[in-house]
Amino acid sequence: MDLKELRRQRRGRFMGSMLPYMGYIIQSGVAMMFLFVLIIFSAWYTSLLRDVPAGIPIRWIMLALLGPAAVHSGFRTYLQSPDTVFLLPQGHRMREYFAPAWVSGNVWKILRLLFVLITLWPLYIRTDASPKQLLVTALLLIGVKLLSSYGLWREIAMLSRPASMAYALLRWAVGGLMVAAWLWQPSGRGLIFIILLAAAYLAALTIPGRHSVPWERLIAVERNQGGRALMVLGWFVDVPGREQRVYARRYLAKWGSRILWLPDTAYRYLLTKSFARGDIFGIIMRVTVLGLLLSWWNHGSYLGIGIYLFFLFILGVQLSALRKLHSESFWLTVYPLPEGSKGRNTTQFVFRAHLILAVLIALPFLASVGERPLLVVGTFVAGILLAFLFKGYLSRKEAQLDDDDI
Amino acid sequence: MNQTPVLEITGLSGGYSLNKPVLHDIALQVQPGEMIGLIGLNGAGKSTIMKHILGLMSPQKGDITVLGKTRNEDPKGYHSALSFVPESPLLYEEMTVREHIEFTARAYGVDRNDYETRSRHLSELFNMDDKMDTLSSHLSKGMKQKVMIMCAFIARPSLYVIDEPFLGLDPLGIRSLLDFMLELKKSGASILLSSHILSTIENYCDRFIVLHHGKVIAEGTLAEIAAASGQPGLSLEQLFYELVQGGK
Repeated sequence: MDLKELRRQRRGRFMGSMLPYMGYIIQSGVAMMFLFVLIIFSAWYTSLLRDVPAGIPIRWIMLALLGPAAVHSGFRTYLQSPDTVFLLPQGHRMREYFAPAWVSGNVWKILRLLFVLITLWPLYIRTDASPKQLLVTALLLIGVKLLSSYGLWREIAMLSRPASMAYALLRWAVGGLMVAAWLWQPSGRGLIFIILLAAAYLAALTIPGRHSVPWERLIAVERNQGGRALMVLGWFVDVPGREQRVYARRYLAKWGSRILWLPDTAYRYLLTKSFARGDIFGIIMRVTVLGLLLSWWNHGSYLGIGIYLFFLFILGVQLSALRKLHSESFWLTVYPLPEGSKGRNTTQFVFRAHLILAVLIALPFLASVGERPLLVVGTFVAGILLAFLFKGYLSRKEAQLDDDDI
Repeated sequence: MNQTPVLEITGLSGGYSLNKPVLHDIALQVQPGEMIGLIGLNGAGKSTIMKHILGLMSPQKGDITVLGKTRNEDPKGYHSALSFVPESPLLYEEMTVREHIEFTARAYGVDRNDYETRSRHLSELFNMDDKMDTLSSHLSKGMKQKVMIMCAFIARPSLYVIDEPFLGLDPLGIRSLLDFMLELKKSGASILLSSHILSTIENYCDRFIVLHHGKVIAEGTLAEIAAASGQPGLSLEQLFYELVQGGK
């Protein structure tokens, strides 16, 4: 069996399944909006570079953006559940299968890392008192990237799940420390620290017991990766219901229990639980925190409104993805749910969440209500208006679906 | 006085392709308070009949009524009158056992107090007390099947459609399920049950419908089928073997 060829075929099939959507992505309004936002961002960034304000915490910004880009890793193995039966006898040869996954995973993520670095670099060299050399920084970050990828691979193979989780934390701490050491310390001292830390990390990775091929973990990871690819696609076009990654989030266990006890709101109960334990919730939280910080930073300017609306738009796109959850659910066909209740509940849920976020992210603007009351009121009104626009969009989509059903 | 059958199928032909129907002119009735065993070899059409009843497949010919109404006439009333246990568990990974049961109860409009009482009873009956707050993705296959059964039984519809419910259940679970089905039957509910474990269902079902190559080849009580095939005194398993071997 040619394992390299098998992976290549699977990758080809996956890419082939994505291709039909490309045309729709280009045509979709969301793609145009992203392009528009990119142009605005470029214009803003260029003006920022022309007139850099004093006191920008550039090292922290570099750490916040380059750290995750260097440490975050992932591989597409395209493994499937039946492989635990049919590929099991090939276990000793699976290195051939995984090698291209490791290479292509790293190549794409290194390109992403370099893109972030090159974008940040002009700001860095203008603001940092003693900037490092670009080439050495790039090489060092690639080193951190490769080390993190190797660390992730070992984590997946670990016998103990708690150990795997602990090592994931260690990977982020080590990667973050390395990037920080390079940014804050003189080059020589920083390099010595990084080399020693890398050696200690590599030594630590040899300790936990591990599977030769962690089939079940790899299949679960692959399912999540595939789901994420479909989620990104779902921002632009309607794709069939994807499986989302599930997080226990015990602190949200009671969320939804107060929903009215009626068949008409039964779907809202399911949606609340799916949202509370799904990956969209995590994305919403991260975008909200970032939006809040940037709104706070720019609350006194018109640029702040642009940033606020941009983040609210991103949140709307993310929340709208909830429409595709359970689109192929067996039980929604069998259970006696009132007609149209899925669409109604989804639109209502997304609208309420969007409205709450619109108010929440606008709160930093209250700090300048004394100086610019109109600006603050305008920001709140614009945010609420955007939430209503998304509601209208979702209602129209649901109406279209109902028409299609007829 | 004739009662309206809970389930009535007349002249049903259907399948995945118009040129190659899986079911041929199926007719069957399930009366109130009856437990019917639907038996047949793999591919005989048992699950396909169930999919037609649930509305997951549309008949090419024939009609299906639940409590005298077709699915098109009254979709909500139709679905409210039946509950289903699938052959393989179909669960939402992001929900706990308790949340699955609660979602089902909400969807069927079960009264909240009834839900509390029934949920407690079912979790005790199926030894799931300590798993109620566990995410479904962390359950074994047998436990997942128990969740399916508990969800189906939290509602009290007129008809239960149960496809191979014993797969993956432990012996205690099988006994609990059978006892509970008898309890439901006594309360007037009807059950259409498919299973390959003929020795188990032989003593529980009122009537049997034997499917072979998508056709009903025998139906009635065990004694009636035995008499019709001219082999009185045989067990269900022996009779089934004779019927399908004869039909080859």
